Amino acid sequence: MAHRTLRSYGFLLMLVPALILYTAFVAYPFLSSLILSFYDWPGIGPKKWVGLANYANVLGGVMSKEFYPAFAHNILFFAVSWLESIIPSLILAFGLAAGLRGTNAFKAIFFIPNTLSIVIVGFLWGLLLNPQWGIINQTLKAVGLASLALPWLGNMNTALVTIVTVNSWRGMGFYILVLLAGIVGISREIPEAGRIDGASEAQIATRLMLPQLLPHIATLTLLKAIWSFSVFDIVFAMEGSQAGPAGATDILGTLFYRIAFGGLGASQIGMGLGASIVTLTFLIVFPVSILYVVVVERKPGKGA
Amino acid sequence: MKKATVLFVAFLLLGSIAVWARGKTEAKPAAKVSLWGWRTQDEPVWAKVVEALKAKGENVAIDFQAFVATEFDAKLLLALQGGTAPDIYLTRRLPNVTRVQPLIDGKYLQAIDGLVDLKNFTPVTLSFIQQGGKTYGVPFANQVCGIFYNLEIFAKYGLKEPQTWDELIAVCKTLQANKVTPFFMPAKDAWILAMQHAMVGVSMPGEEWIGKVIRGEAKFTDAPFVELNKALYDLKDFYQKDFMANAATDMDAAFATGQAAMVFYGVWGDTNWLTLNPNFKYGYFPVPGRNPGDARAYVYMDGSYGLNAASKNKDAALEILNFTATPEFGKIFSELTGEMTALKGVELPKNKPVLIECYGISTSIAAKYIYWVGSPFEAGNPTVYNMLTPGMQELYLGRTTPEGLAKTLQDGVASWYPAFKK
Repeated sequence: MAHRTLRSYGFLLMLVPALILYTAFVAYPFLSSLILSFYDWPGIGPKKWVGLANYANVLGGVMSKEFYPAFAHNILFFAVSWLESIIPSLILAFGLAAGLRGTNAFKAIFFIPNTLSIVIVGFLWGLLLNPQWGIINQTLKAVGLASLALPWLGNMNTALVTIVTVNSWRGMGFYILVLLAGIVGISREIPEAGRIDGASEAQIATRLMLPQLLPHIATLTLLKAIWSFSVFDIVFAMEGSQAGPAGATDILGTLFYRIAFGGLGASQIGMGLGASIVTLTFLIVFPVSILYVVVVERKPGKGA
Repeated sequence: MKKATVLFVAFLLLGSIAVWARGKTEAKPAAKVSLWGWRTQDEPVWAKVVEALKAKGENVAIDFQAFVATEFDAKLLLALQGGTAPDIYLTRRLPNVTRVQPLIDGKYLQAIDGLVDLKNFTPVTLSFIQQGGKTYGVPFANQVCGIFYNLEIFAKYGLKEPQTWDELIAVCKTLQANKVTPFFMPAKDAWILAMQHAMVGVSMPGEEWIGKVIRGEAKFTDAPFVELNKALYDLKDFYQKDFMANAATDMDAAFATGQAAMVFYGVWGDTNWLTLNPNFKYGYFPVPGRNPGDARAYVYMDGSYGLNAASKNKDAALEILNFTATPEFGKIFSELTGEMTALKGVELPKNKPVLIECYGISTSIAAKYIYWVGSPFEAGNPTVYNMLTPGMQELYLGRTTPEGLAKTLQDGVASWYPAFKK
C-alpha cells in the first residue's frame, strides 16, 4: 500500500526543489511586498500600519498626478513598441525565410543588439543622439534635413518614442527569430497550393501565411505587453530616475524606483507607497500573463 | 646519548615557547575598524591614515569598503538591521528626510559630542550634521557652487569677472557677439537646474530674503522669487542650442575643451575637467547679485563619517574619528582627493588655485540661508529640491510659467513646513 502511494505521489517529491526556489524567490518577495503596501515605512525602523491609505494616495490622492501619466506612458510604450517590433520583424522574417544569399549572416546581425546589456545600449544611443556632436543629427544636417535634427531626448514630444525605438531596435532579433521559426514551420503545401490556384506572392504572404502565424504574433504581443508594463532599465539608463524631460518618459517602473528608494525628483517617499505601485503593476500584468499561458497552451500541436 | 637528545629537544621547545610568549605580550594586535562608504577615491586616504596613526604609536587597521553610491544606502540599511554594519560609515548631510533621518530615528547613528574634538570645524559646517543640539558625524568635505569660466576665452575678449547680474548679462552678450557659447547648460540632468537656481538665489534675491522665507515671513510666490525664475528663464538665450538634451558628461567635455565659456557648477568638477584636458585653465566667481557686494556662495557640507551606535569596536573607531577631525587629516584628504576639506586652517595643494580660492570663500561669503541641499526645506516631502528639478525643466519647456513654478513650490512646502502653517 505504502509502496503504491509512493508510486502515485512520489512525483510530488520531485517538485520540492523547484517549489523551494519558487517560494523563496517569487512567492515570498511578492507576499512580503503585498503586506508592505499596507504600511508606511522609510526602509528602516518600525513599520506603521496605514491600511489602504497608500492605494488611496496612488489612485486618488497626491500620487495620482504621477501614477496616471506614468500608466499612460506604459500603454504608449506598449503600442509604439508593438508597431515598431512586430511589423518590421514580420517583414524581415519573411525576407529571411526566402532563403536568399547571406541569410545566416543577417540572422546574426539582427540578433547582435539583443546580446548587448541595456546599460551599454542606453549609453551608446545617448552618444549617437547627442544634439551637438551625435552622429544622427550630424547626418541629418549633412543631408539637408537640419530641421529634423531635434534634441531627441530633451523634447517632451520625442523623448519617450525615441526610447521605445531604441528598445525595439535592441529586442528585434528575438521577434524575428520567433516569427521566422513560425514561417519555417508552415507546411510547404500551403503556399504551393496557393501558387497553383494563381495567388500572387503578396496574397500568399497575407492571406495564407499570416493567418498561420497569428498564434506566434499573439504570443509575442502578450510578451510585449508584459515587458512593456514591467520595463524600467532602458528609461533609467537613458533618462535617469527622474524620467525627464519634466516626467515625459516616466513609467510605473521609474515612479516606483523614485518613491521606494527616494530617488531624485521623488515627490513622496516610502517603501510601503512604492510597494503599492508594485502591487498595482502586478494587477495589470497578471491577467495578461494568464492570457499568455492560455494562448500558448492553445497553440496548434499542443492538443487544443 | 638518548638522554642528551631528549634534553636538547625539550630545551628547544621551552625556548621557542618563551620567545613566542614574549612576542605575544609585546606586539599588541592591530585593532581592525571596518569602514563603509560610496567614495572609491578615498582608498589611498585610509591607507595614509593608518600610516599616520602608526607613526603616533597607534596600531589600528582599517578595513575600507566602497559601494556604488546608488546602492550604498540600501546595503547599509540591510547591514544595520542585520547587525553586520561597519564601525564607521559615511552619512550624507542633514536635514535629509530619506537617508540620514531614519538612521537617527532608528538609533543607528551615534551622536559624537564629547567623544570627538570638533574645534577645527566652523559652526556652519557642523550645522549640516547637527540636530537637536547633537552632532552626528565628522564632516569630510565642503562643496562650493558658482560660475566656473574659461580663463583663455575671458582673456581673449578682455572680459572681467562680473560684479552684478547686469554685468554678467553684458559678458554673455559680448561672448555671443563673438560666436562663443556663453553657458553650457546640461538641462537633461535636472539636478543641475535645481543647483543653478539655488546658487543664483543666494545672491539674487539674496540670503536675507531666503532667511525670511525660512522664518515664514515671506513666500515663494512673492515678487523677488518670481523675478528670479524669470531671470533664469531669460538666461536660456545664452545656453547652447538644444540644451534640454544635454547631460553633465556633455557639459564636462564642452567646458574642458573650450566649446563654452562658462558653467554653473561645483568645485568638484575640477577632477573631470583636468582629466579631459590636463592643460585646461579655469577660474571661479560666485553668482553676482543685483548690486556689487550682493554675491554670496552656495556652500554645503558634502558628507560626514558617522559612528555605528552598535559598534563593538568603539575605542578604535573613535581614535580614527578623532584623527579625521584634525587639520593633519584635512591635508591628507585634500592632497589625495583634490577636494576641499571640511576642516579649517588647512594648507591646500598649491597647484589647485581655484580650490584655494573656494576654500577662502567657504568661510568669507558662504550664504547663511539657503533653500537647496542642507536647507530646512529638505526636512519634509515634497522637498524644494524635488519640486525644482522637474519644475525648472517644465519652465524651459514652456509647461509652466515663472509664477506657476513659484506657486508649485509655495503650495508644496506649505503642505508640511511648520513656519508656513502659522
